[in-house]
Amino acid sequence: MINFDNVSKVYGNDSIALDHVDLTIDPGEFVFLVGASGSGKSTMVRLILKELEPSSGTITVNGVRLSSIPHRAVPRHRRAIGCVFQDFKLLPNKTAAENVAYAMEVTGQKRRAIRVKVPQILDLVGLGEQADKYPGQLSGGEQQRVSIARAFVGQPPILIADEPTGNLDPDTSVGIMQLLHRINRIGTTVLVATHDREMVDVMRKRVVALKDGRVVRDMVRGGYANEV
Amino acid sequence: MRFNLGFFLREAAKNMRLNALMSITAVTTTAVCVLILGVGLLFSAHVESLIRQVGKDVAITAFFPENAPREQVDEARAKVEGYPEVAEVTYISEAEALNRFKETFSEQPNIYEGMDPGVLPASLEIRLAEPGASDTVAERLRSDGFEGLNYPQQAINRLDQVTGYVVWGLRAATVLFLVASVLLISNAIRISIFARRKEIEVMKLVGASDSFVRTPFVLEGLVQGLVGATLAALLVVWGNAIFVEWVQNQIPFIPISSAAVNTLFVLVLLIAVGVLIGVLGSFLSVRRFLRV
Ligand SMILES: Nc1ncnc2c1ncn2[C@@H]1O[C@H](COP(=O)(O)OP(=O)(O)OP(=O)(O)O)[C@@H](O)[C@H]1O
Ligand SMILES: [Mg+2]
Repeated sequence: MINFDNVSKVYGNDSIALDHVDLTIDPGEFVFLVGASGSGKSTMVRLILKELEPSSGTITVNGVRLSSIPHRAVPRHRRAIGCVFQDFKLLPNKTAAENVAYAMEVTGQKRRAIRVKVPQILDLVGLGEQADKYPGQLSGGEQQRVSIARAFVGQPPILIADEPTGNLDPDTSVGIMQLLHRINRIGTTVLVATHDREMVDVMRKRVVALKDGRVVRDMVRGGYANEV
Repeated sequence: MRFNLGFFLREAAKNMRLNALMSITAVTTTAVCVLILGVGLLFSAHVESLIRQVGKDVAITAFFPENAPREQVDEARAKVEGYPEVAEVTYISEAEALNRFKETFSEQPNIYEGMDPGVLPASLEIRLAEPGASDTVAERLRSDGFEGLNYPQQAINRLDQVTGYVVWGLRAATVLFLVASVLLISNAIRISIFARRKEIEVMKLVGASDSFVRTPFVLEGLVQGLVGATLAALLVVWGNAIFVEWVQNQIPFIPISSAAVNTLFVLVLLIAVGVLIGVLGSFLSVRRFLRV
């Protein structure tokens, strides 16, 4: 589903964010991407979205080499990937509901479908009450959940979450992880970049650990800490 | 994907409400530019019309030989009336010429007392369609047998030259100002779009196509251009009507005319220019932030 083949990413001239990374994620897998701050997790996410181009190596998503996707076909590629951004990336001039709706409008869905779906998904992430608030009126954790709702709403085959529980209290975190688990069970490929040690240890999923831009560990049922 | 006009219009309207200050800046800039452009346009229209009016007063007088027979006069007259550069031909008989002379010197009757009616020759007074054609017409008259010609050659040439300078000067100024307007207005739009480049980036990252992101911005530019240009164009046309009336009342000897300006044409032209700049300006400004 997602394949990194000898991928390196150098920012500027000498800031090496990824160093010859090989990684294969199969359809339907649930993968945790862990590693210290600055180890290159977000860089991998941005590469998968084709927000950045790798300095060398090949990335394949859904059988398509990203370097072969022309500019006008990039939106279609991105619609196949729901993404929860580490910095949320909500539109400041839209309410929570409108932000979620935007991801559906982008794909040309009917207004009626949008009106039905958006409140459901906001309820699911526990934000039914905050639907009409703007990002500036929401707490960090609430904004994060709007971002999660927006990533889910289109039911993409791939879901990527960059620190989806970074700003959440333990109870809400558990709720979000359960949601990710459910989403994975219906066949969605899920990749979660996180620092959330407890969560990783509890869920016992595949864990890929990055250190200074290299994959240093890849365990089928791993924990956060084993010999990092 | 279907084109969701309702969605795009709602987006554009909302953006304009939220970025009211930026919108007002863009509208004001457009209005000021279109206003100046419109004033320039009307000014040159009036100047050109005045020059044409003055040119109309330029006449060539072609004298007939003494006692020219009636048939010769009629034939010559018909011929001259057929010249393409000629607007109007009036026959002045010998008697009429004398009358005019008497009128001119009515204060000093001794000058014309006892003057023979045949002393002053009959003539054709020829008004030209365009002042620049006087040489051509004179040439034709000579080759058609007229010997005595009287026309203010120098005045005509001078006028023609001045007309040319003025008209070209005004056109050059208009073009220059049009270019300046395009830059000013698209700059105002670019600033407002630059302030929202992060939003554009986010839209692209959640899967919006270029045109999906661009359309509300272009609609916004269209509305801003339309509003600004319409306000300015109405002001220009209204101001013109007042100005023409004022001149006609206060300085009646200036042959200013409201016919010099095609009001509807000016309105449509100015509004079209505003809308075009608004649409083009936003289209080009968004484009540079779509490369995400
Ligand atoms: N735009 C950029 N320009 C230059 N260097 C960058 C840029 N973005 C990231 N880096 C560098 O690349 C490295 C990897 O960054 P990345 O954001 O992928 O880390 P991360 O694993 O997501 O960290 P965190 O857990 O703090 O989010 C870091 O050393 C960072 O300083
Ligand atoms: Mg990160």
